[in-house]
This record gives sequence, structure tokens and C-alpha cells, in this order.
Amino acid sequence: MAALPRRIIKETQRLMQEPVPGISAVPDDSNARYFHVIVTGPEDSPFEGGLFKLELFLPEDYPMSAPKVRFITKIYHPNIDRLGRICLDILKDKWSPALQIRTVLLSIQALLSAPNPDDPLANDVAELWKVNESEAIRNAKEWTRRYAMDN
Amino acid sequence: MGMCWCKNKNEDTETYIPQTSTNISNTDPVYFANTQYTFVEYLVLETLGVIATLVDNEQEPPHSMLTLHDVADNEEGWIQVVNAMINVIPLEEPLGPSVITLLLDDCPLPSKESVVKVVEMLNLSKEAALHGRSNPPRQRNICVVLGCIAEKLAGPRNMDILNNGIIDYLLTNLSQDTDPNVILFSLIALEKFAQTSRNKMVILIKLKSLEVCPITSLEKWKDETHYVKRQVGFCAQWILDNLFIMENRQYSYQTIKMDHINAMLNTSDVSEYLKISPDGLEARCDAYSFESVRCTAQADSGVWYYEVCIITPGVMQIGWATKNSNFLNHEGYGIGDDRYSLAYDGCRRLIWYNAKSDSQELPRWQAGDMLGCLLDLDNQKIVFSVNGYSLPPCMHVFTMAKSGFFAAASFMSFQQCRFNFGAEPFKYPPKMNYSTFNDCADLKSEDKVVLPRHIFLNQLREQNIGEDSCTLCYDQKASIRLIPCEHSGFCASCASQLLECPMCRAPFQLVVEDNSPSPTS
Repeated sequence: MAALPRRIIKETQRLMQEPVPGISAVPDDSNARYFHVIVTGPEDSPFEGGLFKLELFLPEDYPMSAPKVRFITKIYHPNIDRLGRICLDILKDKWSPALQIRTVLLSIQALLSAPNPDDPLANDVAELWKVNESEAIRNAKEWTRRYAMDN
Repeated sequence: MGMCWCKNKNEDTETYIPQTSTNISNTDPVYFANTQYTFVEYLVLETLGVIATLVDNEQEPPHSMLTLHDVADNEEGWIQVVNAMINVIPLEEPLGPSVITLLLDDCPLPSKESVVKVVEMLNLSKEAALHGRSNPPRQRNICVVLGCIAEKLAGPRNMDILNNGIIDYLLTNLSQDTDPNVILFSLIALEKFAQTSRNKMVILIKLKSLEVCPITSLEKWKDETHYVKRQVGFCAQWILDNLFIMENRQYSYQTIKMDHINAMLNTSDVSEYLKISPDGLEARCDAYSFESVRCTAQADSGVWYYEVCIITPGVMQIGWATKNSNFLNHEGYGIGDDRYSLAYDGCRRLIWYNAKSDSQELPRWQAGDMLGCLLDLDNQKIVFSVNGYSLPPCMHVFTMAKSGFFAAASFMSFQQCRFNFGAEPFKYPPKMNYSTFNDCADLKSEDKVVLPRHIFLNQLREQNIGEDSCTLCYDQKASIRLIPCEHSGFCASCASQLLECPMCRAPFQLVVEDNSPSPTS
């Protein structure tokens, strides 16, 4: 295993000791740079009631570059594409090494509460979100029920 | 260079590909061009055929692969793609299992229902395993697909997928009269399902309830010269050391004799998924990233030689690298993909330097072939040889580095090889004077231990980290303050990598020692 920066150890310890409400991030048994993440769909959002699985990697030059995060559970959201990739500025050009796994996951949860169709990754979803928001929200609820809930 | 398209594309401009003319009928397979294959099966075979010719991450994925992605965008389509892969990928194609992982990883996310449907359709059980023995390619492909499903759905969802039928199927496959290819990928699938602790427990309980643990019997194959069986032995041993811990078994690192080993693969200089044998000389990748490793010893002058026994004939880039070479495993960059390393890949028959490749006139390598890696620092050349046949010398890397070279290698998924740094006689020794790492290097006995991952990680996680550490790396003491924003808590090494203040994003003009007064005050 590549020399593990103590930063990663420190963040992992904190995540275990003080978990973030609505988010579970568990390091892989055999890989300290890989986290199994579950984000609860925020209340009063079309994703409410859903459990969304994500994967999070810390690249070799973390924290100088951002974690790589993607959804593994299908989701209907203008800023998340069909491969689960997320359009979020702090994961790209607005990354700062002072941000953490914790802050990244909180931002993703916030993105579920406040979709931003003006900065889309999933074009057709964003298009519908702009022209017919209520139908888009219906779709998002339907996808949440189908793909993110245990029945 | 490894293969990994989706992660390299500019994500901002990536959009949904509109449904094109690939409307495949759900019930009635379209047979293509009067062959025995359906259209989707044909696309899978075409992808398999072109994949070894692709050498550039910037390149567009092959058309057949893009079409498969479109097909897989709906539930029925995804199931068709999975079925096609199971039906048509042949056992002997060295990139077959890699293509399955690659295609599934790049396809749109499946819904849980699609996955459940596939599992129901396969209808796996002990009986299915026994009946399946007459058709090893299909069983092997099923196991590869199960492994991918387990990995994609790691977390709470794959608990619903892993039913008793699948466990029975996989465990029955471990019987030694099954085709070794099927045993191998059954082991890997079990390993991937065990990524979630609950599944791991369920499998472990089942294993312990058996009279003889089949994995323990398979571990004995680790020194086989039948190269598929040897892979089975390697994986069995790795699983017993890292995953399914049996009470009456000692860890391999506790029993292995290391007296004659003075150089090995460096367990602190390896990307995270690579598996390293207890003697530190054999390595294997079962992840879909492009995993890399360097050796423990360094060459600074003179002539150096080591050999590598090719155990799997797929994509590996083996050669020489300095410490400046980066392991960007998830982007598909490894040894030979930057200016500080040079490697040979005998599957695609390419020499790699700076992510550019030169094709070579040797046959594709086979399991059991011996790759020779000669580094001549006096004359600044690297010469690769396969079974004693030398390739033309390579000089490119020496414009960037003249010393500080390590033996190094990168592995695509399901690839494995064994290094000889001189602890054993070479099969094709060079005809000139040369040194070996094993003769010239030295390792402390505590550095010769390849610890199981969970033990290593537990040791790491229990470290105490001082509160006066740099808030970015925690490796060094915080000593630096940024001017003019006055934010502090960084070390000099981190500060030197910053373009703006990490706290307020303000540009800074100056870094000062934290105790010194600000220039303005």
C-alpha cells in the first residue's frame, strides 16, 4: 500500500468518531483510500426516503486534488449523469485542500436538496427540470422509489 | 497505459447520448449478418477484437463499445449485454475477463431490478455448478459477471443479491475437478462479494460448516507450473490471509522463509489494490484499475538485470521507473506512461514511454515466458528480452533521469507475474557483467514482512496524530502562515504546492514562519 498520508488516517478516525447525520462513509476493509458511502435523500426533496450508494476514492495526490466520487445507485438529477458522475464545482476547479471527505459529502447532500439545472451534466434531465419542473420532480420521485428504496 | 475511457473524458461536456437507431427488440434476438451470433453478441466480440489495438486513453472508445453502452441504457438492454458477454467470450482470449469488467464499468448504471433479473435468469445453485462443468467458458464468464455485480453494488444492496444459490454455486465450483479458470473466477467473485462485512460473515460461516475448507486445499496450488492453477493458488492464499481468516491457520507471513531475500516488491510503494505474495516477489491485480508497484532497491550506476515470469498473458507494463513516476491507477496511467519510466507490454507488443508506444516484432507473450529487463546506466540504455530474444535498446528515459531507477510494473485487471531479483538463478542471464538487487541490496527483517491488509490498516489507524500537525497533510508540523490573509496551520511542503489560500481562496504573496511578525505589522 502506498505510504498513506496521515491526513487520510486523521479524517477516517474523525468520520468514525463523529459521523455526519444522514451520511455513512465506511472505509474499505482492505483499501484505506476507498470509502463505501450511503447518502440519505434529504427531507422535502424528491429524493426523500431513498438510500443512495456512492463510491469515493482519494487519489494519490489527495488532498492537493479532490476526491473522486460517483453515484452507484441510479438517480434522476440534472447534475448527475447516467454513469453516476457528479457535476459539482468543489470536486473540480473549486477544490481546496482545506475541504474534506465530510464537506464533500455534505455538499453532495445539499446538491440533492437544491438541483441546479442551469449547470447540467445530464442534459435531458436538466432540460425537463427547466421547462416542466413538476414533471421532472415526479420522475425523480419515481426513480427514487424504483432504484433507491428497499421494497 | 491501462484502459479507462469514461473517467478521462471532460465530464462537463459529457451529455446523454440520445437513443440512436439501436432499438433492439426485447424478445426476438436479431441475428447479425447470417452468423450464429445476435447483434449484441456480435458487438461484444467486435469489442473484444479491437480492444488490444487501442493504446491511447484520449482515443474514442471503439464504435462497438459505444453502441453497447446505448443498448445497455435500458433494463432489457443491460440484461442483453450481460447475457451476450456470458455466451460468447471465449476461455482462451487473454483479455476476455478484462473486457467484461471494462464494459460493465463503462455501461450506464443498472437498476437493482435488472441485477436481480440477471441473477434469477442464471438460476445458480449447486446443481447449476455441477451441470455447468461441461461448459467452462460460460461458467467462467458467469463468475466474472458476478464479481462485477458484487463490486458495482458493494454496500447494502449486494446483500439482497447474494443468495444461498449463488454461494452454493460458487463454493461448489471450488471443487478441484472443476475447470481451473472457473475456480479462479469463483474465488474472485467470492472475494468481491465479501467486500461488505455482512456478506463476508455469511460466506465465512458457510465455509466453516464444510468438512474440508475448499480454499485451504486450493492454496497448495500456489507453486504449480500449470499457470491457471497457479493463479488459483495465489488467490486462495491471498483470500485466506486477508479475507476469510481460519482459526487453525497461521498467516503466511508468519511461516514464510525470507532469509535469502534481500530485495522485493515494496509494500509501501504500491497502488492500493495490487496483491503481493508473502515472499514479496509475485504480484496480481484483480481490480479494474491499472495497479502499479516499484521494488525496494534502487540502481544508480552500472548494469542491472532482473527477470519476470509471465503468469497471465494479458496487459502488464513491466520495466524501470524512478520515484518521480506516478501511479495514477484510476486514470489508467502506470509504468511507461510518464517521462520517468519505461516499460514493455508483451500482450500488445509495445514499448511504453511517456504514455506513447512503439510496436515490437515479437510474438504475443504466453504464460511461462520469461521477460528480461536490463538497465545499463553506463551506456544509458534499457534492453528488454523475451525468452532470451532481445528487443532493440531504448534510450528515451535517460533524458529525464540518469540514476535512481527501480524495477517497476503495472497490471491490468486479472494479471499476474513473478519477479526474480537474483535470489534464484536467472534463466537467460545477460552476457555482460551485471549486478542484481538481491546481491547488492539489504532489507531489515521487519521490512521483509508482507502484512495482511487488515492488520496493516489497523496498525495505521491506531496511530496518534499530534494536534500541532499541518492541517493539510498531518505529516509534518504546522509552521507556516500566509500573507496577507494571515491563515496558518500549514507546513512548508504543503504551502509550496498551494496556488491560493485553502481557507479563503485569496491569492497570497508570501509565506512566513508562524511565529514571525507580519511584514506589515
